Order: sequence, then C-alpha cells, then structure tokens
Amino acid sequence: MALLQLSAFPSTIESIFRNAPLAIQIAMVFIVVAITGTALAYYSILRSRYRGYRRDKKLSVLLPEIDNLIIDEVLTNPDMQQDIPADQVPLNLEPFQRLPLDRPWARQALTDRIIHFRRNVRGNMGNLLRNLYIQLELDKDTMKKMKSRRWEKKVQALVELTSLNMSIADVTILPLTNSRNRELRAAARHAYIKLSKNEPFKFFDVVTDPLLMWDQVELFRIITTTEGIAIPNFARWITYSGNKSVVSFCLKLVVHYNQLAAVPAIIKLLDTRDHYLRADAINCLGKLKVAEAEDQLVRIYTSQPLHCQIEILKAIGRISSGRNIDFLKTEFLHSTDFDLRKSAAKSLVKNEWFAKQVIDELLATSSPENLRILKHCMNPLIKY
Amino acid sequence: MSKILLIEDDEIMPKIVARILPATEYQLDHVSNGKEALLKLEATNFDYDLIITDIMMPYANGFEILSKVKNQSRPIPVIIVSNAGNEDMIMEGFKLGADDFLKKPILPAELLIRVKRLLMKNT
Repeated sequence: MALLQLSAFPSTIESIFRNAPLAIQIAMVFIVVAITGTALAYYSILRSRYRGYRRDKKLSVLLPEIDNLIIDEVLTNPDMQQDIPADQVPLNLEPFQRLPLDRPWARQALTDRIIHFRRNVRGNMGNLLRNLYIQLELDKDTMKKMKSRRWEKKVQALVELTSLNMSIADVTILPLTNSRNRELRAAARHAYIKLSKNEPFKFFDVVTDPLLMWDQVELFRIITTTEGIAIPNFARWITYSGNKSVVSFCLKLVVHYNQLAAVPAIIKLLDTRDHYLRADAINCLGKLKVAEAEDQLVRIYTSQPLHCQIEILKAIGRISSGRNIDFLKTEFLHSTDFDLRKSAAKSLVKNEWFAKQVIDELLATSSPENLRILKHCMNPLIKY
Repeated sequence: MSKILLIEDDEIMPKIVARILPATEYQLDHVSNGKEALLKLEATNFDYDLIITDIMMPYANGFEILSKVKNQSRPIPVIIVSNAGNEDMIMEGFKLGADDFLKKPILPAELLIRVKRLLMKNT
C-alpha cells in the first residue's frame, strides 16, 4: 500500500505543478533548485571536511616519522660534525623508503617538511636538506607541478623551488613573470629574482603591463630583503624602458640604493612629456640630494603642472643647499595655491641653517594665514 | 647542567635546538607562546640560566618576555632567535636588554657557540 502511494508521488507532484498558476510554477522550480543547491553545498562541505580529517589523521602519524628521519639522517649525520661539505656527505636513503612515498600526499608532506626545516637551519645542514630533496627525486614532482594548468599548483612549485634554491630555466619562468594572475606573477618574479644567477632583473625588460602599486610594494620588499642578489644600475631601465611604471619603480630603487651613478639618466628624464614620471624624477633627485640639479629645477619651475611644482619645492628643501632661499621666499609669499605655500615654507624650514634671518623676518611680517602655515612647518612634531 | 627556556611557536625549531644543545649539558624546557612562558617563569621563580626566544608569538611577544625578565633582580641572559629582518625590531630587542640576536635560518654551530659564550659570561 505504502509502495503504491510512493510510486504515485511523482505523478501527484507533476499534476500539481501542471495545474498551478505560472507564478507558483516558477516558485516551485526555484524551491527545487534551492534545495538541490543547498544539499550539494552541504555534501561538498562534508566531503572536504572528511577528506581534511582523513589527511590530518594520516599526517599526524607520518609527520613525526619524517621529523625523526630528517633529524637522524640529516641533522645528526656524523659527517656533518666533521665539517665535510654537504655535497660529499653520503645520505642513507633507505629509512626514507619505509615511508609511503608512492603516495603523492606523502611525498608532498615530505617536501613541505624539508622546506620547513630549511627555514630554520642554513649552512651545511641546509645544503644537506636540499640534497635529500634531490636524491629522493622530489624535484620531479615539483617540475610536474610547474607544468600543471592550475595556477595554484604553479605557485606552489615556484615556492618550493625558491625555498630549496633550485635553478629554473629562464624560458620556463620568464613568461610567468608577466602572467595575468596576480599571485602567479608575484611568485614568478620572486623566484626569478632569487634564482637567476646572472640577471635577476631581466624581467623588467619583458614586462608589458603596468606594474601596479601593489606589485611595486611586493617587488620592493622582495628585492630589498633577498640576500646575495647583484643589484644592477637601474639607469638602464630609466633610460631605455618603454614601460613607465618600470621607470617609476626603478626611480624608487635608485633612491633606496642611493645610486648616484643613475643621476644623469634621471636628469635626462626631466625632459619627458609624461608629467607624472617627471614628478617622480624630481622627487628622486631631491631624495638623492643632487645639488647640481637644483638650478635646472628652479629654471623649469614656472612651466610645470602643480604636482611637479610641489615636488620641485620639496626637492629644494631636501637638497638644502641654501642657494634658492629667495625663490622659496617668493613662492611662500606670492603663490596663490595653499600646497605650494606649505611646501615652500617646509623647504625654507629645512634650509634653516641658511634661512634663519628670512624665517625670522617672515615670522614678524607674514599674514595670519601664512604665519599659521610657517608655524605648522616649524613644529618638529608635525611631519606633514 | 644549565637550564635553558626555549620560547618558540614553530614546531620544528624546538626539535632542532634540542639536537644542537646536547641533553647531557643542557636541560631544555620548551613553551610555545609568550603566555605559557610567563607562567613557566613565574612558577619556577625565574630559575633559568638562559632564555632563547622568538619575537613574534601569540598572546605575549618576545619583547614583553624580555622586558619582564630584564626587570628582575637577577636578569637572565636572553638570545632572540627570529626571522624578523626589520632593523627597527632588532634594535628594539637590544634596547630592551637582549644579549644576542640570531636570524633564522640559523647556523647550528653558531647557536651552540653563542649559548656557551653567554652561559660562561654569566657564571
């Protein structure tokens, strides 16, 4: 009886659906779609949680085993105590064969653990960990991941290669430095800077898209924190790069590395038609304190847009040669723009050593608004 | 036997340090965050010969431990072992009284020598 009722259920639903008004029919379709979607979502969450639970359970057994093997075979290797170079130390791989290395998850766990150890120790021990990675042929897995179509696999491979200081062919990695995917692009640039022995900045030549501000922040961090990379003369890209963002970024690097050899290239950049780039060049000259450029900056001042004028005033303040006090005073007194007056006042204060008399005179004779600006700039507790 | 407290939230580092510092010469206690470290120090009445600490840790960071330890009547020597490359952080550590600084990844022999040197200096 119950079976009969159950077999009649779909036809009952169908007849209800057919006889219902259109709005109800649409609502019923939505309800079915929503219930199915929710059920699928719950199933997928449960499935991934169960998989995670199984993986954690397996790893909780495997990881202590891996740690002990690495400690016994690498960290306390008797040859390491005798200062034998890592490439001449024979590794006993037999104990590692007891691990389930035929399973990809176990190989991945071993790779991750070797990298984790290498983040904590360096020197001969670090090199021996790298040898272990190569001798267990874990590098082949990494190269497979490099060929994967999924970007996250590629990023993972790049991180592994970088952490283990493995070399990669330029043809493999250079196209990735231009990838549309932000994560992949950043990882590839990081890897290229770290791993390229000859020209770590070669990708500047192939960058076609603009370097976004975030890219620049990331790259700056990578370049300035990576040890042992050869820093080139960035004048090369300032002069020849057709990518404005690369030029702008190189100007920041020139300032960071105080590359005075790049000054002629930066002065040449003052003739560029792009006024944002010109403003960056002026900013760079000021931060490098290039006194020779000061007269040229004052000469071009009147023909510049506002933000370049502000940069010129700031640069004169940073250079602090005391040669253009009258110019700063004139700008402070007669400029109609507030930012120009503020920058001129700030630069006058920075030239205080030469402009003491002028500042005293301005303090005594300025209009109330100018006096407020000047006092604001003279307050050492206020930076901006 | 010298008593050393290792404050480190990384799970691998204590295993490495335990191998570098032989158990026959050093008694190594490990805690994995700043809060546990403070509890341990108070429970033992700061009875340690040396502290090796990371900087960035949950609950209380290395600087808090450092200032607490250095305010004691018998200050314990402290070695900071961290991957913080920021110059300001390193200087802050020394200003608070750190006796030595080691950047991760470490050279095992270097850690051993620095531990020995500090222990000898304070005996």
